[in-house]
Amino acid sequence: MLHKMGGVKKSKEMKRKVHLILGIGIIFLFGILASCFAEAQELTVCCEKTTSGFWCQNVPSSECDKNFREAPTSCEATSYCKQGVCYDSNEGICAEKTPQVVCNNNGGLWAEKAPAQCELGCCVLGDQAAFVTLVRCKKLSAFLGLKTNFKQQIKNELSCIMSVRSQEKGACVYDFEFERLCKLTTREECERATNKSLKDAQFFPGKLCSAEELGTKCGPTRQTTCIPGRDEVYFVDSCGNPANIYDASKLTDKEYWTNIKDKTEVCGAAKSNVNSKTCGNCNYLLGSYCRAAEKNNMPSYGEYVCADLNCYNTRNGKNYRHGESWCVFNDKENSVGARYYKHICINGEEVLEQCADFKQHVCEESKIGDFSQAACIVNRWQDCIFQNRTEDCENSDKRDCKWLNGKCVPKIAPGLNFWGGQEATAVCNQANKVCKITKEKSLISGTKESGPCADIKSWLKAQLDYCSSLGDCGVKINWIGNPGTSKGYTLKEGKWKS
Amino acid sequence: MIEKNKMMKEGNSPMGSKKGQVAIFVIIALAIVCIILLVLLYPRIKISVAPEIFNPEEFLRSCIEGEVKERINILASHGGYENPTGYIIYKGEKIKYLCYIKGYYKTCVVQEPMIKSVMERELERALKTRINTCAANLKSEYERRGFSVNMGAVNSDVEIAMDKIKVNFVVPMKISKGETTKTFEKFSVEIKSKMYDLLMITTSIIDFESTYGDSEITLYLQYYPNLKIEKVLYDGSRIYNVSDVTTGESFVFASRSLVWPPGYGVVDVA
Repeated sequence: MLHKMGGVKKSKEMKRKVHLILGIGIIFLFGILASCFAEAQELTVCCEKTTSGFWCQNVPSSECDKNFREAPTSCEATSYCKQGVCYDSNEGICAEKTPQVVCNNNGGLWAEKAPAQCELGCCVLGDQAAFVTLVRCKKLSAFLGLKTNFKQQIKNELSCIMSVRSQEKGACVYDFEFERLCKLTTREECERATNKSLKDAQFFPGKLCSAEELGTKCGPTRQTTCIPGRDEVYFVDSCGNPANIYDASKLTDKEYWTNIKDKTEVCGAAKSNVNSKTCGNCNYLLGSYCRAAEKNNMPSYGEYVCADLNCYNTRNGKNYRHGESWCVFNDKENSVGARYYKHICINGEEVLEQCADFKQHVCEESKIGDFSQAACIVNRWQDCIFQNRTEDCENSDKRDCKWLNGKCVPKIAPGLNFWGGQEATAVCNQANKVCKITKEKSLISGTKESGPCADIKSWLKAQLDYCSSLGDCGVKINWIGNPGTSKGYTLKEGKWKS
Repeated sequence: MIEKNKMMKEGNSPMGSKKGQVAIFVIIALAIVCIILLVLLYPRIKISVAPEIFNPEEFLRSCIEGEVKERINILASHGGYENPTGYIIYKGEKIKYLCYIKGYYKTCVVQEPMIKSVMERELERALKTRINTCAANLKSEYERRGFSVNMGAVNSDVEIAMDKIKVNFVVPMKISKGETTKTFEKFSVEIKSKMYDLLMITTSIIDFESTYGDSEITLYLQYYPNLKIEKVLYDGSRIYNVSDVTTGESFVFASRSLVWPPGYGVVDVA
């Protein structure tokens, strides 16, 4: 509500402060009243389990399952609901923030702080690596049929990944049941196998198992395969070992079946080679990855191609690469009910993720090179109205506010639950304003109006802008573009009685 | 042909002369050699003639596979439980909260730190009837094949492992036919599945939710190209659908963490 009154001119700054204090006071008064009312109704206790089936919640006693414990305190202060680390000794996984009772019920080992078993190290899995616990490493190695190779001295993930990238690869040749066999692996794996299971295995760096000079029973084939953790389509030799990247023109090329080639040396280097019938040099960063081919798009040899993961002609009409994300805002002039969305391109599909409702989250987008990345971040509007100085108001390290007509308001007006409770009214009431116009009568020029709202149209516009920037207040439309049922404000005129 | 022409010229029947008989023997010998060569060179012919080898594990696999896939889909669409408690109803389905906090501004409390074990237990329970039926069917099949079967109590365990679901039929069984006797203790059946990977990703998402109040799904795309994660905000909760694009398998669960109320949230605090 806006009020226009004639009368004595007062300090603008003083009035604003009074309004702010009153507004905030009302909000907190409601808050205090509401919480007092709630407390008078029922105190919250720590329920070991609620009637809805949730573990360790601070809720009113009436919501506790009476077959379980409850304590008139916060769950963090109880022994059974205290949160800590839950260690799963089967999988070698440590889950944080797990209540003791939940962990114990599931057969885990609970500790307040992470136990030694949760210490991470570098698990080498052939030519790949994972930064995991020792037990997890054993589990993964067993799944892949590899010997456990855990390097505890490597203390971060990047070093772990880099340590396997520099590994030398080649053909590991060995004799088994009067046959000369071969496995494409790393030098370390080959030597490890020599020591433990295979006798007299020989490592030939940079060679493929299909190399004629090795004299193994492995030879070239027309078959291809996808390798876990690798982008590209690979030829397979007759022993089942992967060979070089699929290139139809090299099917009978002896040299191509002899030496290991780098991805940069083969067909379609630095290209995505999407759906190519002849080249399997896929590039995940460019949006292609080895997948089984569709029947209408079979390659010249084998059954795998570089599948297209990118998104085309998305809802905003643009094309995006796999993994890219961008912001979409369904707003129409700061409308009621609008929210931010984050769109993501995943495997050729445009997937949307809502940011928090009531515009408590906003979407922000940035680019790394030409790769778009978006995130839903918290809208820090709550303390805007407390700021009196422009530099404090626009300090983006601390808050998301803007300076509007001498007042600090949220940059993105938050949504309010105006259909329930009194908070929305309290917030919007801050925009109520009394403005005094001094009217001076003159014999020559008639009545002359002076004061901050002498130009009532521009004053009203400024006030309405302020009002709508506080939240879902004042003149608004909803997110489908329809205006509200009422005007959104009232303007009253009266006479100031001194 | 030369031989035949010569005989015709002499005006004698080929059957009537010794040379003719020799020729027939030679032809028969050649035919026998050809048949032997054919059998040796094309082992498939030999296999088709050989009696069918009965594989009990293959029999059990074909018996249980459909049920495993159906049951795992049901469990996975409800957050690992057939009939969950502590759930949200989304699109008519009960979705289990794996991490939950009532109220605002706080991160969630982990409800299921070991979801894989939970799902294994639930799957084992759901498959129990079918496992008994399959074991009984196996006994009948052996009996139909003329074996006498002595079968003990049926037990089972289910393991969700990397790239597979392993169903172990613990069935002490003694089969005999004539003087031959064979004893089995258990049969292992493996069904291809990517559920293990989906559950491990789920565990990681729960960890993010409980620590930071949300998860960044694009992070997972860097490491898992075949993964698709959908996150829907519904009534303050997040419904996750973690799926493998190559197999189409998915796992759905809910989380309520770091929820922001409308406005200041000082009134009507839930």
